[in-house]
Amino acid sequence: MNTKTKTTIVLLVILSIGSVAFGRIKLVALPERGATVIRLDNPQATLIEEERVLTLQKGLNKVDFSWKGVFIDADSIRLQALDHPDQVTLLSVSYPPNEAALVWDISSGSDYAETVRISYLLSNIDRLITYKAVADKAETFVDLKSYLVLRNFSGEDFDRARVLLDYGEAFEQGIDHEETKQMLFLKSPGVPVTKVWKFDAAVLPWDPEKLENQNVGIPVSYRIVNDDAAGLGQFALWGGKARLFQDDGHESTIFLGEDVTTLVPVGEKMELYIGDSRDIVVTQRKMTDAQINILRRNDNRQIVMYDTDEEITAKIENFKDSSAVLTMIQHIPGQWDMEECNMKYEKKDASTLEFEIQLPARTEAGPAVKELTMHYHRRHVRPGVQPPMPTPLRRR
Amino acid sequence: MKRIAFSSLITVLMAGVGWAKVDLVTLPSRDTVQLTIYNSTDMTLVRESRALTLKDGANALQFSWANTLIDPTSLEMLPKANADTIDIAELVYPPRVRNLGLWNIESGVSGKVPVEITYLTSGLSWRAFYMGTLTEDEKTMRLRGYVVVTNNSGEDYENAQTRLIVGQVHILDQIAELARRQYPYGRPGVAPVPQRMPAVAAPAPPQMEMVKELAVGFDALALRPKEIAKEGLSEYFLYTIEGTETIPNGWSKRLQSFDIEAVPVVNLYKYEQERYGPGVVRFLSFKNDQEHKLGQTPIPGGMLKVYRGVGQEGHLSYTGQSSFKYIPVDEDVELNLGTVADIVVEPKLMDFKTENYRFDTRGSISGWDEIHTFEVEVKNTRDINVKVEIQRNFGTQYWDIRNSGDFGQFEKVDLDTVKYTLDLQPRSSQTFEYVVRTYHGVRQQDWRPASR
Repeated sequence: MNTKTKTTIVLLVILSIGSVAFGRIKLVALPERGATVIRLDNPQATLIEEERVLTLQKGLNKVDFSWKGVFIDADSIRLQALDHPDQVTLLSVSYPPNEAALVWDISSGSDYAETVRISYLLSNIDRLITYKAVADKAETFVDLKSYLVLRNFSGEDFDRARVLLDYGEAFEQGIDHEETKQMLFLKSPGVPVTKVWKFDAAVLPWDPEKLENQNVGIPVSYRIVNDDAAGLGQFALWGGKARLFQDDGHESTIFLGEDVTTLVPVGEKMELYIGDSRDIVVTQRKMTDAQINILRRNDNRQIVMYDTDEEITAKIENFKDSSAVLTMIQHIPGQWDMEECNMKYEKKDASTLEFEIQLPARTEAGPAVKELTMHYHRRHVRPGVQPPMPTPLRRR
Repeated sequence: MKRIAFSSLITVLMAGVGWAKVDLVTLPSRDTVQLTIYNSTDMTLVRESRALTLKDGANALQFSWANTLIDPTSLEMLPKANADTIDIAELVYPPRVRNLGLWNIESGVSGKVPVEITYLTSGLSWRAFYMGTLTEDEKTMRLRGYVVVTNNSGEDYENAQTRLIVGQVHILDQIAELARRQYPYGRPGVAPVPQRMPAVAAPAPPQMEMVKELAVGFDALALRPKEIAKEGLSEYFLYTIEGTETIPNGWSKRLQSFDIEAVPVVNLYKYEQERYGPGVVRFLSFKNDQEHKLGQTPIPGGMLKVYRGVGQEGHLSYTGQSSFKYIPVDEDVELNLGTVADIVVEPKLMDFKTENYRFDTRGSISGWDEIHTFEVEVKNTRDINVKVEIQRNFGTQYWDIRNSGDFGQFEKVDLDTVKYTLDLQPRSSQTFEYVVRTYHGVRQQDWRPASR
């Protein structure tokens, strides 16, 4: 089926007659490409290995390897004799001027029909990974599927090749130039998921009442752990686009959202941001912000160091008819100590506090309401060298 | 016009034999179709069922979607019977052909097999809008909600079960952009070049104007408006319109979502100079709860046009309009109907003085207090009871306040804002006074919070 193939890699064996070195005479029939491997284990580059039979004569042989319309990294080209590695030796490689080509000088111990393996890095052929997950109605697990998408825009048609990833079995696949193929390669039903709601005071607006007619959505994510317990954990999950769906209880699904994941090594978590909840509302306000304990003044009686007295309240309302656990992130820059805080927090770093707030479902009496109060002091604040304040930034 | 063509090519796929030489065998039509339309982004999930005739062995199925706005990467086919003997091996997007996909299927059975095909498309949209009619005394409002579904997808969907999603979905790529790509997954090596739009389908942005409205179809349900079932799923709400709908390409259709006879409303007026300027802004306030005959589901954001009944013969007067945001169950709704002249709030500075000056070593002023005395007059010139909220901002967190007169409810909102809430009888006025002392410069060190 070579009619369609626009093979542009030309391999010619030049019979070295005497010491003719000029005017490269290209002779001999084109050796057929044999077993071909497309190796996609490195996301940066695709390695092609192909086998060809060269008819070598005893003595010095010149073999011309040229390509057109494809991008091959010339420095990546390697040649390996498979039948008589001791007798067939690559002596040198020459690069003709202004040509996508090279000439191998091969010494052969005898007349051989030698199978050689030529390998090179080929551009514009790669693979993508995509995920599709369908959650159950209760959002406790997902049926996870992963697809391999082969994209070949290299200029080269591959009738049949062994395709290798960094894990799993190799498989036979042909792919033409400009062709894209999508194959299911991982199917993992019943993967447990944790649903995460997150309010980060440095990312989301504080006071929704000050926004005219806009809802502040609390980002919602699904968390999947790449481990045995989840039925995964065999290999790192490659980064790619993930689309999440949910069983709607009517033998159909709805689309929940999509996100892109980075590579998730074994044992690590994948967090997929699906959308925003507008049924959890956080209203955060600063109730006090004052200078106290003037520690030092300069000769002009100007303050050079002081402490602060700050109070923040955050009202959290759950309008959902189900419970939720809100992860709330608060930031206090610089040196500080907490005078009073009505909720438990975990200090994630010097200036980041994380609260896990259990929100019961809304009842007939109204939304479930919790209120966080933080009363703290920032210490040894120096005018001009103030660390950045935890100001609300634009939402993501 | 049907633009999605679906052909089943039954063939023996020999190694290396190109699919292009295969002849079409059957063209099954759609049996059912379901549309799940999103309004936070231009996206619809389409689910169709079709009966394919498969042969034992290798089958090739061709799916083409020229002039539609389908995202080819979202295509999925699932057999609904004999799932264990039917292997959908791969989906191929052949070279140099646009808007065409080819499924290679290994079947262990021969005969008719029901399959379900899902994909995402753009060009279908929906929006919510509302009509409110106040009674003459403005104590209650009849609230009617509508949804308008518009089809500019390039495809006619006949007798489709139509579902609407209320919610904020996270999307990485616009479906319309994916639909216009030359290669479904793009190509490696070069940045994707935006492609020209298909010549036929000309989707407008989702907030497009209505083109036409179709009357509800003349079927068995024609004698009453269709019901819309509402249920929560994940963070979203799913509206399912009763029966099926036919919305041809280019058409819109309006359906009633709910009709509540008498929602009790509060006439709320707000004054905040920094936010609304010198005028008083009128709000209609109610709560999305059972007490207000609502509270079954959240109310999706949309535009509300408010009318007021006038006289006995059902005449109407137009009050104003307000767009509002998504309202969760049990949440308060405040609809901004704009500035009014019949409620007046007039804060007057009656006295100003400074004191408690401090000086630094060079003799310059380093601290002082400012004392503002404001008299606030609130007038209700209407024939109905009203509630007035007045917010005052001081621009500093170092302040003390003393209120006197008819100041209603007083509340500290945040570190530099206070709020007065007053209830006024018809044609009445109230006056109150506040004295605010603000601390400046080094005097701020002498300030102590009143709350502690």
